[in-house]
Amino acid sequence: MEFLSNIAMIMAKYGHLFLITGIGYTLLLSAIAVVGGSFFGSLMALAKRSKIGVLRGIVTAIVEVVRGTPMLLQLYIGVFVFPLIIPPLNNLPYIYSCAIVLIINSSAYVSEIIRSGIEAVDPGQMEAARSLGLTQRTAMLSIILPQAVKNILPALGNEFITVIKETSLVSTFFAGDLMTSYLKVKGVTYLTLECLTITGVLYFALTFILSKILKAWERSMKAHA
Amino acid sequence: MLDIKNIYKNFGDNHVLKGVSTTIEKGEVLTIIGVSGSGKSTLLRCMNLLEEPTFGEVWMEGKLMTPVDPYLHFDVIRASNTYKALAAQGMGDEEAIHKIKVEDLLKEKHHGRAEGSEFSALMKKIYDENHIDINLGRQKMGMVFQNFNLFNNKTVKENITLAPVKIGVQRLKDAKKRGEAVMKTKADLQAEADKKAMVLLERIGLQEKADVYPSTLSGGQRQRVAIIRALAMEPDVMLFDEPTSALDPEMVGEVLDLIKDLVKSGMTSVIVTHEMGFAKEVSDRVIFMHDGVIAEEGTPDEVFNHPQNPRCREFLSKVLY
Repeated sequence: MEFLSNIAMIMAKYGHLFLITGIGYTLLLSAIAVVGGSFFGSLMALAKRSKIGVLRGIVTAIVEVVRGTPMLLQLYIGVFVFPLIIPPLNNLPYIYSCAIVLIINSSAYVSEIIRSGIEAVDPGQMEAARSLGLTQRTAMLSIILPQAVKNILPALGNEFITVIKETSLVSTFFAGDLMTSYLKVKGVTYLTLECLTITGVLYFALTFILSKILKAWERSMKAHA
Repeated sequence: MLDIKNIYKNFGDNHVLKGVSTTIEKGEVLTIIGVSGSGKSTLLRCMNLLEEPTFGEVWMEGKLMTPVDPYLHFDVIRASNTYKALAAQGMGDEEAIHKIKVEDLLKEKHHGRAEGSEFSALMKKIYDENHIDINLGRQKMGMVFQNFNLFNNKTVKENITLAPVKIGVQRLKDAKKRGEAVMKTKADLQAEADKKAMVLLERIGLQEKADVYPSTLSGGQRQRVAIIRALAMEPDVMLFDEPTSALDPEMVGEVLDLIKDLVKSGMTSVIVTHEMGFAKEVSDRVIFMHDGVIAEEGTPDEVFNHPQNPRCREFLSKVLY
């Protein structure tokens, strides 16, 4: 019983830190990562399909490095190493450095999602379009991409959910997300288990609700196909 | 009308076509038969450059669609450094050309530099004088695929009108750029294309399917829509790549009947097919492909009733028709 009353006490006293600051920053960071990631990821997917070998090589290297190293390590580099190389970054609050790293990380994954989404469209569709005399560009824009989007959007939703969980790593730098709230409240109350429970429930609620929304949306999209 | 000159096609080490030449005349119906893997589909796909030939040229109505193949132009070979070197050694003209062709001695095949400026200038001249934009060439060739390849994200009517409208709009833009007076709008083009699509759909009795998506159609219906989609571009030649191979048996008839209709109306056609009875009935000329070359060629009577090539005889004895 003491456990529950402790939780109630924490929520009464520090609820805003979890619900407003924590969730707010977590969602904001995730949204920035996914939106920025989608933008740069699309460009990278384009670069990966380009005829210029060097461009393809660079992008492939970025994707492989980002996917092959831990997110935490990338955050350390973004927060501590980049300011050494680029001095103006020195005065940047950690949350900005973290957002940049999250965008780069997300771009790599999103570019793969987009690439495989495009490649999953039956090559016969492109052949048919080209055989009618349409240009590569027109065929891509009016035939391939609309079909690829149906493959891409659900996977992009999953990426959003993954990113929500991964943003917890920025708490290493006290950047202000939900996990940072946990660290702060735990620090003043010494009630580790209670704080962990609150944080866990909140993360689960976030991702669960989001995945339900995505499912419903996916279903409505399929119905219109 | 459609000239295929000495086409080679390699997929890596796999040599699928090994020098195929033929000419399709206006109004002619050519069928290509042969076992699986003999290169007949690849040959058809080389005709509208869905596969780019490794060597050889494709000419559509007197216009070059592929890069220039120097081996097909003696004057180009004579302009090459390789030829000049051989001539300097005292080799005769015919012998030198033969040696270069057989031993594939020209270093830069399509964009000559290693063969000297005279060679590259001549290559460029031939190309500039004869080539046609590949998309323009393809607009004159309708293609029908084994797997229909209807656009899944478009309705039946949109499938038929998409290309004519997009290409029409592009032409209007180009005309405007050249400063010509443009009377039509995109809406006019769409209206025209819609009207034509409905006429074509009526021809195959599917007008009530105009606004449904292809996934709701049967295989036979899809293939018939694919055929009229190609016809909507008003092509000069139709290429059929095993149009009935992916169909349930009971649907083969309706598709073959439509092709027969088309052929009877005088449409120049090239048909790759396994339907021997059909080939015999509609063709003006039949080609039997074997191992990447034309092994037998002639009228349906010659090929089906009096085949000379032993491979062709064996093939025909194995297939029922």
